[in-house]
Amino acid sequence: MLLLTGCPRQALFVVLPNAEGGGVGAITVEDGKTVTTLDQPYATAESRAGSTAPSEETQGNISVIFRSAIAARPILPHHFRLYFILGSDKLTPESQAAYRAVFDDVKQRPVYEIEVIGFTDTLGDLPSNEALSLARAAAIRDALVRDGLDRQAISIAGRGKRDLLVPTADQTPELRNRRVEITVR
Amino acid sequence: MGLALWLAAALFIAMAGVLTAGVASATEAPPITQMAIGQIKKVTGQAAILRSGERRPANVGDMLFVKDIIETGSDGGIGITFIDNTVFSAGPSSQIAIDEFLFDSNDFRGAMLAKMRQGTLAVVSGDIARSSPGAMKITTPTAQLGVRGTTFAVQVYGDR
Repeated sequence: MLLLTGCPRQALFVVLPNAEGGGVGAITVEDGKTVTTLDQPYATAESRAGSTAPSEETQGNISVIFRSAIAARPILPHHFRLYFILGSDKLTPESQAAYRAVFDDVKQRPVYEIEVIGFTDTLGDLPSNEALSLARAAAIRDALVRDGLDRQAISIAGRGKRDLLVPTADQTPELRNRRVEITVR
Repeated sequence: MGLALWLAAALFIAMAGVLTAGVASATEAPPITQMAIGQIKKVTGQAAILRSGERRPANVGDMLFVKDIIETGSDGGIGITFIDNTVFSAGPSSQIAIDEFLFDSNDFRGAMLAKMRQGTLAVVSGDIARSSPGAMKITTPTAQLGVRGTTFAVQVYGDR
């Protein structure tokens, strides 16, 4: 490729289209003297021996240079939310269906790590909500293990009513707060 | 005879105590530097992890620790996910050292510094880069990259 023996080290920096489908990101390149900001897809900068400048690189060249690195990219982490029946560690009927999507996502991965964090709405006192949030996370873990996944790869935590998805007054039942948030990677 | 037996028993109990203490301390929360910070999710061709001066082949499922150096051969590629959901994937003839990695899973804040000596690296940034601008940095021999998010790539080429 571009192994130029005898040349000093050089670096090429490029912003790529958002792999997760969200807005375009940005990077900055600092060489001690200048700061170059790149914030458009396929915007590039090159630096050599303490000097950095935006550069023109065709999309085709960028694809060739980074083909192997992009091909080595694993399945990206995915996030899921499942919702629960009031005061219970049982999923709502809709979320029972959504649970299958979590399971199917995990099954695509050669190796996986799963994080399950439980939450509650503001109904009830702090200690019982702490316990309920952890019970919700544990219920999902146990279901995943029953369905054949590796218990060692699943971590659980409970945050009680400390971390609301939808802000409410205290003692307010709210479906969207009675949830687990699951990260699969 | 009775005394010898008693001594043996005492010694056994003392040793058991030492062993139990050893087991107990091993199951306590390890220091942050000992915690796994990522996992190898994909390997093609030759790839290795350099840890404490020792080079070991990289296998899918292996955990990654702070100060590890990721290396790929001339036909190699490696894909890694970090615990903050940052994703690294490197192409052939790459060397990337994970010099610093701190992440608090309660508030999703942290800091990461990777040092790239050569090769190609594609990145999808995660919670650390999202937590504050400048929390995630990648250094190359000629310049330092600050990450605001999310998808980008770096190539380091030429001779030392």
